[in-house]
Amino acid sequence: MSILIDRTTRTIVMGATGSEGSFWTGHMVELGTQVVAAVTPGKEGERVGEIPVYHSVRRALDARGPADAAMLFVPPRFTKDAVFECLDAGIKLIVTVADGIPLHDALMIRAAARASGTTVIGGNTSGIISPGKAMLGMFPYWIERVYKPGRIGVMTRSGSLTNEVTAMVARAGFGVSTLVGVGGDPVPGMRFAEVLAALERDPETDAAVMIGELGGTMEEEAADMIRTGTFTKPLVAFIGGRNAPQGKRMGHAGAIVSGGKGSALDKMRSLNTAGALTADRASMVGALLSEALHATARTTGIPE
Amino acid sequence: MKLHEFQAKALFRNYGIPTPQGELAATVASSIEAANRVGYPCVLKSQVLRGGRGKAGLVKIVHSAEEARTASEFIFASDWKVRRVLVEPAVDHTRELYISFSPDAQSGAHLILASAEGGVEIEELARTAPEKIIRGRIDSARGIMPFEARALAYDLGLSPAAAKNLAPIVERLFKLYVEKDAELAEINPLFLTSQDGFVAADAKISIDDNALFRHPEFQQEDADFDSDIAREAAAEGIPYLQFDGDISLMCAGAGLTTAVYDLVVDFGGRVANYLEFGGPNYRKSVRAMELCVRNNPKVILIVTFGTIARADIMAEGIVEAIGRLHPTCPIVTCIRGTGEEKAHEILRGAGLTPLIDTEEAVRSAVALSKGGRP
Repeated sequence: MSILIDRTTRTIVMGATGSEGSFWTGHMVELGTQVVAAVTPGKEGERVGEIPVYHSVRRALDARGPADAAMLFVPPRFTKDAVFECLDAGIKLIVTVADGIPLHDALMIRAAARASGTTVIGGNTSGIISPGKAMLGMFPYWIERVYKPGRIGVMTRSGSLTNEVTAMVARAGFGVSTLVGVGGDPVPGMRFAEVLAALERDPETDAAVMIGELGGTMEEEAADMIRTGTFTKPLVAFIGGRNAPQGKRMGHAGAIVSGGKGSALDKMRSLNTAGALTADRASMVGALLSEALHATARTTGIPE
Repeated sequence: MKLHEFQAKALFRNYGIPTPQGELAATVASSIEAANRVGYPCVLKSQVLRGGRGKAGLVKIVHSAEEARTASEFIFASDWKVRRVLVEPAVDHTRELYISFSPDAQSGAHLILASAEGGVEIEELARTAPEKIIRGRIDSARGIMPFEARALAYDLGLSPAAAKNLAPIVERLFKLYVEKDAELAEINPLFLTSQDGFVAADAKISIDDNALFRHPEFQQEDADFDSDIAREAAAEGIPYLQFDGDISLMCAGAGLTTAVYDLVVDFGGRVANYLEFGGPNYRKSVRAMELCVRNNPKVILIVTFGTIARADIMAEGIVEAIGRLHPTCPIVTCIRGTGEEKAHEILRGAGLTPLIDTEEAVRSAVALSKGGRP
């Protein structure tokens, strides 16, 4: 299977009865995601398409059987509550797209997820997609010049830049095995290093593309994994914010250079030193990917 | 949202963290009066949100009314647009400490940093003497325990008497940091007095913008914004940064807007403003363009690659905005994503050329900003 999700992943959706939630739940099902129940307090008995709605996660699981994953279309101020409801129910993969989760809530989510061995993806993300298989989130997978199935793992801090960069991956003739949006918040539930660990184990992934940006330390952690041999597949990185002025919060809350640390150029240097290829511009990602895969094919003797 | 020092110190006092007894003054005359009341020597501290005020000479120790006049005249005449001065008595002290709380994204815990060699910026200390910084992690679900605060105080090498006084200050700062949803709560320097007491000589608090909904007590002041346009954008919830170039960026998505900014600079252009109208704001094209037009740019560069933000709705909004605002500068559009076919039709119908390649769009905008052809 692809990492994290595939066609057999039994999924519940919280907040599926809202307009955005129902729109994207419909698309998740259309792509092949197995959505077994929806949860909206006060709306038990209703349906979203064919999917029955329950008052609580516990009631949904009692009626429909266990779930592997939860997709949250829940507003940011209620996200902590929803995540803990899923954690309590023992769900091991939780995706939250909420943009604007309070920082201290995000810290508690991250800490609880780590303690319980749960993967929480987001917030402030489009979610996760394995093109042609399943999706937990909001991706315009029908745009064929972006969402082509293939063997490249993509991880990203930005939704808008994901389309931009992944289009370049596709233009170079590659497709995507799994795309994980870790999100643009300063405290994401899942970090690049954890995505890389999953991609390393994934037999359906040959190389990784990282769409990073200034601020935080996730790109440096990825570089560490390459340096220590924990991630051995080719990695091509595009890092936004090379020209960003220090101290200004460019875009995402997580994107701020503080105390001279976390600049895009520093991140690119760390990655280059570790052996990753870095693209100054999105348009270079495809060519670098070809270069990296050719080099790997040469050293391992595996046909391309 | 960063708080001013005097606001942060008011919070400190509410939480039982001692600060000097200061007065706020808004003019040269009232600064001198305040200094006379506070007594000499005293410190005149400019209340600005930008870092580096000390280096800019905007924090002055004065010993007489005459010196207070010279210092406050200098401060209010500086180009930092200082509106207020905090006048505080100089505090005798034997040592300067550093202490702060901030999130640790990797572990999901709170990070406490402390040093017995405060008074310089922590980044500077991290570079020159990292061994002098003590780090600890505070469980975000459990919160700080008294033993953790005590251990820190002793690890700093304080005398038992001083350590006993520091521990509750550490706990109170943590309480403030959590209850006010701060992304940073820092005391630097924290003075140790000859009586083993502590006084917070400075206060730095930044509140998490995402949590402001549960803190109506914090309101950004008009004068804290870079420009009137920035203030209006903030009121609309539109992310905006003011620059002084001539290419207005009107883009959707934080990451993409940042990448477009990079390209503009790479290709030799200068950005007038960074405006991001994606996500929940994608129906606000008219307002977004209005804000851009007010910068009087040589070109407006629109780049989007939306998912939830539908390209066709953004294109309709842009055409409507052009019809209402009649911008005199050229507009370069590169709108893609959900609904892009219809979007391109709409743009063509309004006489615009829809581009689909970001780099081409940026090159074209930079050329136009220099008076050339796209």
